[in-house]
Formats: sequence, C-alpha cells, structure tokens
Amino acid sequence: MSGQDTADAMSGDVTQAEIDALYPAVAEAIADALGCETDEMRPDASLMAEYDAESIDFLDIVFRLERHFKVKIPRGKIVEDARGDLPESDFEQKGYLTDLGYETLRSHMSEVPDERFTKPMKVADIPRLFTVETFCKVVARAQREAQQ
Amino acid sequence: MSAHGVLAIPPELGYWSPCLVAEAVGQLAAWSAMAKVDFQRRPLAGIAGEVRLGSDAGPGAELELWIAIEHSDGDAVSYHGSASFDGRTVLELERCVGPMFPMRDYDDPDAVRQRFDILCGPGEATDRFEPLQRACMAVTDHDPGRRLHATLTVPDVAAFFADHFPRRPVYPATLLLDHQLELAQRLAVEAGATASGGPGTLTRVTNAKMRAFVLPGQTVEIGAEVKSQGAGTARVLLTASAAGRRVSTARAELRTGE
Repeated sequence: MSGQDTADAMSGDVTQAEIDALYPAVAEAIADALGCETDEMRPDASLMAEYDAESIDFLDIVFRLERHFKVKIPRGKIVEDARGDLPESDFEQKGYLTDLGYETLRSHMSEVPDERFTKPMKVADIPRLFTVETFCKVVARAQREAQQ
Repeated sequence: MSAHGVLAIPPELGYWSPCLVAEAVGQLAAWSAMAKVDFQRRPLAGIAGEVRLGSDAGPGAELELWIAIEHSDGDAVSYHGSASFDGRTVLELERCVGPMFPMRDYDDPDAVRQRFDILCGPGEATDRFEPLQRACMAVTDHDPGRRLHATLTVPDVAAFFADHFPRRPVYPATLLLDHQLELAQRLAVEAGATASGGPGTLTRVTNAKMRAFVLPGQTVEIGAEVKSQGAGTARVLLTASAAGRRVSTARAELRTGE
C-alpha cells in the first residue's frame, strides 16, 4: 500500500489499490452493459461522452454490480455519497450545485479529470462525470458498508 | 417474493409470437412491483438481460407464468421468470430490470388497483384480447444474410394503447422487438437457406434495452445486422432509432441450420 493509499484508508476514502483490485470485474460488467469489449474501456473515460451510456445503462450497471459483488447499491448512491453530511440546501439549489456542493463533489469524485467539472453544474448532469473508476469506488464503499 | 399466473391465449387469435409471451411474464412482474408500492408507481420497459426460447406455444395454449422478484422499490424492479405449457418451458427471462415511473402520469392508480383485484380473483374475461394490430414495416436496406433495415410506422390508433397506457400511450417494447426479430429471422433464413433443421429459429435474446418511448404515429428506423456466425448460430445486433435518437438495442441468436 502506498503512502497515499495509507492516507486514503485512514481518511475512509477508497484507495487506489482497492480500485485496481475491483477494476477488471467492474470494467467487464460495464462493458457488457454498454455492448463494448472490456479492452475498449478506459478507467477515466466518461461513460456518457465516450461510450454513449444513458440513464438506463447506469441502472443496468448498478444491478450487474450488485449481482456480481453481492452488495446493495441504492439508486442515487453516488450523489448521496458525494453530498455526505451536507444539508441538501447547502449542496444544491434549484437543481444547480452550490459552490460548496461543487467543491464537495470534486473532492468526492477525485477520479474524474478536473477539466470535466464545469460551473455552473446541474445536479442532473452529475452522471456525465461517471467513469469506470467511479463505479469501482461505489463497489468498494458498498463492500465496506456490508462488512460493518 | 414470487408470483404465479395463467395466460389463456384465445384460440381464435390470428397472430402470436414469443415476444408476447415475454410481455405476459413481464406484466406479471409489473403487477407485483406496482402492488408493492400501492400502485403509486409503475415499471416501464427497461432491460431484459436474457430471454431464452424453448417450446412453442400459440393460440389455444394455457401458459403457466411465474416470476421471482429480486428487488422492488419505488425506483426499480428486478426479476426473473418463465412461462411454460404442458410442463415444458416456453420461455425464460433472466436479469430483467424495470425503472419505476409515477403511475399518475400513465394511468389512474385506482383503476389499476381495481384491475389487480380482478386479476387476483376471477381473472380477466377471455374476450378481452383484441386482434393485434402490427405496425407497418417497409424494408429500406437489405444485404442478404448480413444486414436488413426497415422503417416501422407505428399506428396512431390501436386497441393496445387503451392499456398501454390510458394517460400516455406508448408503443410496447415487446412489439418493437417482435419486428426487429422478424428482420433477424429473415437474415438467419438467408444465411442457412440451403440447410435443414429449422433455420431462422430464435433461441436467445440478450441485453435487450429500451432507451426511449415510441409514441403512436411515430416512425422508427429498425435494423438487424449479423455480427458473427458459426456452429449453426447467427448472432444479430438489433437496433432502433427515432428522430435521431436510439430507441432500443438488443442482441439475438438464431439457428441458421448450418
């Protein structure tokens, strides 16, 4: 485990080692859902922009991951986790992220390249950020929750 | 949670297909999911991970339907199920998912609840089936044994729109799939035209995904393209788009009789 991984683990964040361990199976599930080959998938590619994923695909992906990893992933889990303990009104207002919500999201979705975060950002546009690594983190967190 | 049902296919029905059997199994799951949330939400065409075809069953048959709900809440339902006739499996559904939508946008919750009571009691009257009005299909591109595209014109008016759905008619995904499979079947027949052994028989559909609603009167471009072929099986990619947007995607496997 690297120094950064140790720091991430202590802070409760998902480590790169956890992401790497989950990546092959998560990428395969996502590739199957999107009708792609696994070796076409890139860890940080936007699933919507580069693989034409739509909301029905994300639903498909979540159920595939639940079956494969035998975990529960509530719908809306990514945004819910990103918001954390922030009151909803501090996170978003009228469908747009607040400045605090924006920074919280950036921090939570650290796997997403910075240039893909745009201001103002609609809450409804958050799925445009999703990558394979995003779902690796979702699974890692769900596994941790299942163990608690 | 699981549920059982019976579907008596009227003997006089002119047209029947495996897609309608899949629709019946999916409907059983839909009713179960709607009852769970007191008919405030309903699933709409989503994903069929895998559909496996078995024995034939057509008009006059009484199908035993069975489903098992794996997950069901106000957001989505996931389930698997089957239909059988005379103890033989007609069709199996695996890894199906339906996103849930507000019932009020599509139907009257009270009317749906009352109909559920009928289904759980005496059952629907057998004369409730109307002859199926299929959409008009015109071939636009054809490379025999390899690729077939067609334009599908959905009727403005059809008996099934009264149920599907009263407040917002939507062309059933299974009927769209039925037309796509017709194209795939033609390709499979062409691919194995000289062989015996039931060329063109559908054996499996995978990753069928409805991505957008098709409305009455809408024109849909549908396509079937053979992606691989061998060992007596053709694997066909099915597509549909309307107004420049993907409507559905699926893959089908058919016997070519090679």
